[in-house]
Amino acid sequence: MDASFWLLQFLNAMQYSMLLFLLSIGLTVIFGLMHFVNLAHASLYMLGAYFGISVSALTGQFWLAFILSPIIVTLIGAILYYTLIDRMRAAGPMNQVLVTFGLIFVILDLVRLGWGDIALGLDAPDALAHTVSFWGISYPAYRLFIIALGLTIMISMWVVLARTQIGAMIRASVENADMAASLGIHVGRLFFVVFCFGCALAGLAGVAAAPIFSATTTMGITILIPTLIVVVIGGLGSLEGAIAGSLIIGFLETFGAVLLPSLSAVLTYILLAVILVLRPQGLIPARG
Amino acid sequence: MKSLFAKMAMATTLGLGMVSVQLPAHADTKVGLILPYTGTYAALGNAITDGFNMAIEEAGRTDEFSIVTEDTEAKPPVGLAKARKLVLQDKVDVMVGVVSSGVLGAMRDFVHQSQTPLIVANAGNNLATGENCSPYIVRVSFSNGQINRPMGTWMAENGIKTVYTLAPDYSAGHQMIESFSAAFTAAGGEIAGSDFTPFGQTKDFGPYLTNAQSSGADAIFVFYAGGGAINFVKQYGSFDIKTPLYGSGFLTSPLYVAAEGDAAIGVRASLHYIPTLDTPENKAFVDAFMAKHGTMPSEYSVQGYDAGLALMAAVDAGGADKKNIAAALPNVSYVGPRGALEIDPATNNIVQNIYVYDTVMGDDGLTQKLIDTIPSVRDDVAGCQM
Amino acid sequence: MFYQTRLRTITLILALGFLAVYASFGSYFAREIVIEITILAILAISLDFCAGFGGMVSLCHGAIMGISAYAFTIMSVKLGLPSVPSAMIGLMAAVVFSGLVGWVTARTSGIFFIMATLAFGQMAYTFFFKSRWLGGDDGMGGIDRFNLSWLGVDMNDALVFALFGVAVLLLVYVIAAILLRSGFGRILSGIHSNENRMQAVGINTANHKAMAMAASGLMAGIAGILAAQHTLYISPELLIWTVSGEVLLVVILGGIGTLIGPVVGAIMLVMLKHELSNYTDYWHMVVGMVLIFAVLAGGRGIFGQIEYWLITRHSPKTPHLPPAKEKDLA
Repeated sequence: MDASFWLLQFLNAMQYSMLLFLLSIGLTVIFGLMHFVNLAHASLYMLGAYFGISVSALTGQFWLAFILSPIIVTLIGAILYYTLIDRMRAAGPMNQVLVTFGLIFVILDLVRLGWGDIALGLDAPDALAHTVSFWGISYPAYRLFIIALGLTIMISMWVVLARTQIGAMIRASVENADMAASLGIHVGRLFFVVFCFGCALAGLAGVAAAPIFSATTTMGITILIPTLIVVVIGGLGSLEGAIAGSLIIGFLETFGAVLLPSLSAVLTYILLAVILVLRPQGLIPARG
Repeated sequence: MKSLFAKMAMATTLGLGMVSVQLPAHADTKVGLILPYTGTYAALGNAITDGFNMAIEEAGRTDEFSIVTEDTEAKPPVGLAKARKLVLQDKVDVMVGVVSSGVLGAMRDFVHQSQTPLIVANAGNNLATGENCSPYIVRVSFSNGQINRPMGTWMAENGIKTVYTLAPDYSAGHQMIESFSAAFTAAGGEIAGSDFTPFGQTKDFGPYLTNAQSSGADAIFVFYAGGGAINFVKQYGSFDIKTPLYGSGFLTSPLYVAAEGDAAIGVRASLHYIPTLDTPENKAFVDAFMAKHGTMPSEYSVQGYDAGLALMAAVDAGGADKKNIAAALPNVSYVGPRGALEIDPATNNIVQNIYVYDTVMGDDGLTQKLIDTIPSVRDDVAGCQM
Repeated sequence: MFYQTRLRTITLILALGFLAVYASFGSYFAREIVIEITILAILAISLDFCAGFGGMVSLCHGAIMGISAYAFTIMSVKLGLPSVPSAMIGLMAAVVFSGLVGWVTARTSGIFFIMATLAFGQMAYTFFFKSRWLGGDDGMGGIDRFNLSWLGVDMNDALVFALFGVAVLLLVYVIAAILLRSGFGRILSGIHSNENRMQAVGINTANHKAMAMAASGLMAGIAGILAAQHTLYISPELLIWTVSGEVLLVVILGGIGTLIGPVVGAIMLVMLKHELSNYTDYWHMVVGMVLIFAVLAGGRGIFGQIEYWLITRHSPKTPHLPPAKEKDLA
């Protein structure tokens, strides 16, 4: 295995980590901020992929789908927030599990009704449907795009959380929502904004992933577990935790697949068990 | 409101217990369609059902057959419970179906003991017509070995010396690759390397594709189906892998090849049916299917269709009830859309042609171009004692 | 703290009676449904034991059930032992696995505990899935049911097996109730309310939680033996996390922390699923809406809500009912 092999797998790992990051950052902030167990987050990812395919099929434009799909998913998220989620915030984790599990089922069958049972595909945009050659390897341009997209969002979020007022308000609310409210921060409105942003990212992840993975009715449930693992390993509510978690899982799964093929199916779970036993609150929790 | 809800819930629960499903009972033969209608394989269950219904309708014999459908959810315990219901409660004369080999394995003993004929319309596990065969289980679809052995021989005979194989890590994946590799090496080829990807989890084949290319093999041979096949072919295309891609036909099945886009062009595979076969029986079948459903039929639709033809042939030869159907099924033979077909009484598996084809871009989208036909592929007896 | 109130006893009798009557006078498939309900209800009781009363919400109970079923099958089919000793070994395997998981995860709580149990459950699933000797995803068949011919009954008859299942369900409920009322159960409730305080009093909470998981595992193991004997065939499907997820749903739907609630939940969910699938392939959607509605309508689960309503009609303060708002997961 030469240098080009390692470079290729490094890029594969980065691309998978970025996808996981887009999904997990939304979930961890909702979790850490609102203490809300939203199992249906991954179903929004699925909706993002399916809407992306439909918009692209209707207009013939990938980029239009890329922008519209997260917006559609955010609207759906907003509706869910006002009808269901807001009411459930005080209901306790067990009921939240029940409600969001119910949502998973409902969204699953709605997707089946709307798009059928056969898997659907989406072509990468022409501008990115080729490989780029550098440093002795040939790598798909679209995957490089995903890496760039993830890194951009990662850095922007860092800047927003660390340097802006709204970021400070979010961080304060995650640490102590009551104290933040008593300081005059409109925590309820903040929750709504953060929730919608999380939904937008989930939808974006869906439409971005669609050209690489196909859209199937089980794609939500399949990615739910890795996302939850990333959130839990990284620590609830923290951006650094989501970054760390998605990189660790992304690299572990990618390199595990080629270096330890017989164990690769369980590597993630072994890591999860080890971390939880040694550091029960995750690696970089937002609070204590 | 809350108490009303609670009362209604209680009443509904008690009331549900009293409801039993009413079934028509005037037809000559009762058929139980036992297929997945929810879950990952729902599309296959529906395709097989469409094919089966079309066969009965075309023959104008819908009055003779009353059909009960049950959802297996592709889960072995559920499939077995539904099979028991069909046989012991609905008293069907014959069952048709089973997509998942796991469900077939769970049902096998029950089918055998209850002496109810089962026409297998998909599940390809070699053992079902091998070690675990039964006089009551007749397969009209394919066996995992049957699809891949001819491809192994064909590739070796057509100048390919080394191959890298990939498949999902579950028993069907292993059976497909093992039968391919055995035939390929027997014909003089060499396996350069082999990977099995975690079942159900792997969506990113990037690491495996790059591994396969760097092995330097002449070709890559894979088995993937459904969503996995779409992902694999698209990612193969996106990486611009130079090594040519071959596979078991499920890789580019007409059911979903459209989703694979241009990446599927040039991929060669072997399958027991492609809709572009140039025979009068197939043309009639394809036209009728197109007219009724608006899409080209896939191998799953034809499996259902042939199950219907086989059933009607058995009824004509023996009689409309359980015992006679079971006795007549192993001796069925006819010419269908797939070509000449017969059941081999030594294994109860179908004997059929295997077609090697190329995926090309046609006027209406991706289509299959026949390259070669391996006629009348028959499975070895492999431990079957009946 | 667990109390066997009159309402709960009445509900238990009604539920078991319904199952027995439905099996005896219903169609053939009714018996299959009753067996399915009893297996799910036993599993749900075992989960409520550690989750509702101990605060340890586990997503590996499907795996525990599967391990018991596999151990039983290995002993009886592969090694040829008679079914009763094989079942004992199956139960032991479940107890050992769940006890170990409980011990290792004793320091975690909330969502972290859930994910840790998920991890162990999935590891067990992968082990059985990849094991060629155990049949891998093709599974193993050839299982026999207990031989009760000395009682004059044929266990291969669906009605007999269904009634056997109902009897076992009653037995498991009684075991769980006795355990919960004992000193062991009280300590468990104490740990659930305030673990620090229990430690301050001198209780080794980690050991206690491990033992609670082991007891829960024993009951889940019983469900596993029944499941294996029902289908006479076993496959790794039993250990997937979605099975554990479904049990958790049933527990919450019925009423977590009431012990009888999960039984009610199991009856409702299985009946609903089967009736719906006769009418539509999209029954997941209806089940999902029922779950959402059940939460919106009260939040204590179906039985929990009935209990709350009936009792607070007469007295406003009810110290022994589980609160509608539970502890934070995070």
